Amino acid sequence: MARSRTGFWLSVPVYAAVVALCVAPLLILLAYSFFQVSFVAVLKEPTLKNYVRILGSETYRWLILKTFGSGLMVAAITAVIGYPVAWFIAKRVVAAKSAFLTLLLVPLYTGDLVRIFAWRMLLGAEGVINTFLMAIGVIREPIGALLFSSLATHIVLTYNYLPFMVLGLWLAFEALDDRLVEAAADLGAGATSTFRRVTLPLTLPGLVAGSLMVFVMVVGDYLTPQLLGGASGVTIISAINDLFGTAFDWPLGSAIAWTMLAILALAFAGAAIVISRSSLGKALAAGEA
Amino acid sequence: MIAADRAKDTSGLGNSPLLQGIAVHKDYGGVHAVRGVDFRIAQNSYVTLLGPSGCGKTSLLRMIGGFEALSSGVLELDGQSLDGVPASRRPVNTVFQNYALFPHLSVEENVGFGLAYRSLSKAEMASNVESALALVQMSPMAKRRPRQLSGGQQQRVALARAIVNEPRLLLLDEPLSALDRRMRKDMQIELKDLQRRLGMTFLHVTHDQEEAFALSDEIIVMNNGRIEQQASPAEIYRRPATAYVADFIGGANLAPGRILSVAGETAVIDTPLGRFECPSVAGLQEGDKAVLCIRSELLRLQAGEGGFEAVVTHTVFRGAEWLVEAKTQGGIVISLIVDEPEPPLVGSAVRLGFDPARGWIVSAPTEG
Repeated sequence: MARSRTGFWLSVPVYAAVVALCVAPLLILLAYSFFQVSFVAVLKEPTLKNYVRILGSETYRWLILKTFGSGLMVAAITAVIGYPVAWFIAKRVVAAKSAFLTLLLVPLYTGDLVRIFAWRMLLGAEGVINTFLMAIGVIREPIGALLFSSLATHIVLTYNYLPFMVLGLWLAFEALDDRLVEAAADLGAGATSTFRRVTLPLTLPGLVAGSLMVFVMVVGDYLTPQLLGGASGVTIISAINDLFGTAFDWPLGSAIAWTMLAILALAFAGAAIVISRSSLGKALAAGEA
Repeated sequence: MIAADRAKDTSGLGNSPLLQGIAVHKDYGGVHAVRGVDFRIAQNSYVTLLGPSGCGKTSLLRMIGGFEALSSGVLELDGQSLDGVPASRRPVNTVFQNYALFPHLSVEENVGFGLAYRSLSKAEMASNVESALALVQMSPMAKRRPRQLSGGQQQRVALARAIVNEPRLLLLDEPLSALDRRMRKDMQIELKDLQRRLGMTFLHVTHDQEEAFALSDEIIVMNNGRIEQQASPAEIYRRPATAYVADFIGGANLAPGRILSVAGETAVIDTPLGRFECPSVAGLQEGDKAVLCIRSELLRLQAGEGGFEAVVTHTVFRGAEWLVEAKTQGGIVISLIVDEPEPPLVGSAVRLGFDPARGWIVSAPTEG
């Protein structure tokens, strides 16, 4: 008894920290999402007006959709690029493995802003790429769409979050036993079939983990679209920022934030159900894959 | 000389072997794992590849399975070269050392994995899987996952997964090494029984000579990338082709010496233990360096004159008998089996003898 009570008291600071720093702010935000604004004062009378406004506003619906669309797209692109890279580092590099992983992470050591401005040097009208293409005569006029566009945003988002995808996949590939691939070949599976029946299912946990990380970070990224997106740089995150800042409409901002959270939670719950019903999920639950 | 012996050994097994290796060579960037070996594996036989770790037996198995390319030489299965045939198209299946069962698939899905690449109906596939699982007594576990099985059960599933494809040749890579001793004995009997019932050819890699003896129609002894001898277990034990085989198989007592004369299939050898006329390998000549092999169970304590003297250094009780270690005057350490209630005292001098007709002379190792 005494021991379990000691354990309880020792764990109190952890729970307290989680409640104070994580749960409480979210609940305050939730509470605010049901309030409303009258001129410069927040009226603390419960209402669903904010949520109705979000649902009714084509702009907010579009911004939310756009943000999740960006997240999915960047997750998909980084998965396609990262999969072979992770395989290569895990299965083909022997001596220089830590060097490769360090190189992969080096860009993360510099700040967001530095990376973004470096890309502006590359993509700008007088940037490295346009100047080079003009010098070799491929184009006469600089390609304006390279910078301050949705294209620029997605190039840099992909660049920024690719390492996280590679890390997730790399771990999965490290855990993949080469003999399983040999066993598949031994049993008659060609390269494609081995990939579909053995490699992909066994690296899927890494793919899911990497995709979730990239997706969440892209959805929450504020700087990249703002500084590289130009006119397309307005995101649901920047909208929330504006609502809390210049517009002074905390309740609406809170409601948008909670709408995002709810959609994400539903999507994750759905994914979790699908995965747990699949054979892979059962293997995962049994601690096998 | 070894080649001549081998030709004699395999002559009784028919003219068209299932698998034939000709000058099979493998080197990994300058490290010669397999050094140009020749061998023949007869149809419907149980053959073990026996040798210490690093002798090249696993490399040889992996080349047969199609997981490694040959550096040079030829492998022929049913008279057809396997050169360029990928593992997936070889009528060869493997039981991997640590089973390599697919963790994300159930037992029956594992066993059915290879059947997807043959034109079978769903019903045929299911019944094949079922009978393969029944064969290894794993039917009740069909829905489980590999991780929920014991080592022995995983072993059976791996076996079922391979034999369900009815391969021409089944490769087993140290399949019993992860099992405990008791389980290993049981599985040995089952493996041998399975091979007989299926009429399949098994090629089994092991470093355990007891296992090789228990299972094999033929043993291929490998050392340092070469095949030292391929013969029946009895032949290998009684007439080892080289001093290495004599020592590796059952740890014979070896006394180095020089050939004094050769007469037909026997030779006279002069050793620190004395002069003996014993059967010998072919090709020995007068004056050659040679080694006399005497199995421990052939040595007897001798009461009267004759034989040679030795001082007892250790005695080990083995239940049915005593294992006695003694040192002769020439400094050769000799072990012998004493089938008496009490062994000779440690430190006492004993006189030892053996029937020279059951000794065996091989040429001295050239290396080392």
